[in-house]
Amino acid sequence: MPLATDGDAARLAMGEGWPVLGTTLVVGTTFGVVAKQAGLEPIEIASMSLLIFAGASQFAMVQLLAQAAPVPVVIASVLFINLRHLLMATSLRPHFRRLPIAGRLLAAFFLTDESFAMATGDFRRGGRSLAYYVTFAVSLYVLWNVATLGGIVLGGAIGDPRRFGIDFAITATFIGIVVLAIRRPADIVIALGAALVAGGLALAGASTIAVITAGALAPLIAVFARR
Amino acid sequence: MIWIAIFGSAVATFLVRSLPFAVTIRGRLPGGASRYLEALPVAIIAALVGPAVVAPASALTHGAEPLAAALVIATVAWRRSLLAGVIVGVVAVALLRMI
Repeated sequence: MPLATDGDAARLAMGEGWPVLGTTLVVGTTFGVVAKQAGLEPIEIASMSLLIFAGASQFAMVQLLAQAAPVPVVIASVLFINLRHLLMATSLRPHFRRLPIAGRLLAAFFLTDESFAMATGDFRRGGRSLAYYVTFAVSLYVLWNVATLGGIVLGGAIGDPRRFGIDFAITATFIGIVVLAIRRPADIVIALGAALVAGGLALAGASTIAVITAGALAPLIAVFARR
Repeated sequence: MIWIAIFGSAVATFLVRSLPFAVTIRGRLPGGASRYLEALPVAIIAALVGPAVVAPASALTHGAEPLAAALVIATVAWRRSLLAGVIVGVVAVALLRMI
């Protein structure tokens, strides 16, 4: 189902992406609240969302800064948590070949787990327009920052986002993207293998390396599998 | 000190995001490498899902998340609809966590 225009692609991105964007709003607000309660200044919290724009890393940073961890430890932790984006950018790169270097770097700045997963789902079914990625990724950035500001203002007035199962919306979206992307039996083995290895590593306390390790290992099945 | 941590982390996150976009590879990749790259997206997304299902909130699941995940898989495989899967998943996990 190739898309006709950039406008169609942008509308499709919002039509499919709103549950993920809504969850981002909740998580971003939670981040603002948690960071404020940890004693960070509003300008510092807002700058983190504007410049770093990485959910898991920002939560980890707040925890580390609250424990007065040394600056190199903070930066190294953030780098490690985000190493998985190396894999995502590698996989997205062919679709952005036509863009000049400045455009590619700009697209890279907005890369998140969510925008990677949504765009991959679109490319896999034959989507050609980069408007899908741009619309979704930039919307996520704007919402993340608005939500952070909201969280700073709210302070401690918000409840646990795990209530009502809202936190599961992103997970369910990712599961759906994987299911729709399955083409051969080997894909099922790769997906289950990656999910189980990452889950096992997270349970073993190695959550910072879980995704990068499982994500890098599982595709080896495709290299050695007979078709 | 905190500003060095913030700017340093901003540089670190941008580096890992942009490095593969900045370098261009000319010519065709060998078969094994292209099969690896082809399988990579699904593997990474599945790897993101694993911890959220098996170890939500950094502890072993009580069963709500894996059960809801199975329902999402069944729904999406049947209806071929992302949105149907999300709605079933969120409602299922909310109900199952109450038990």
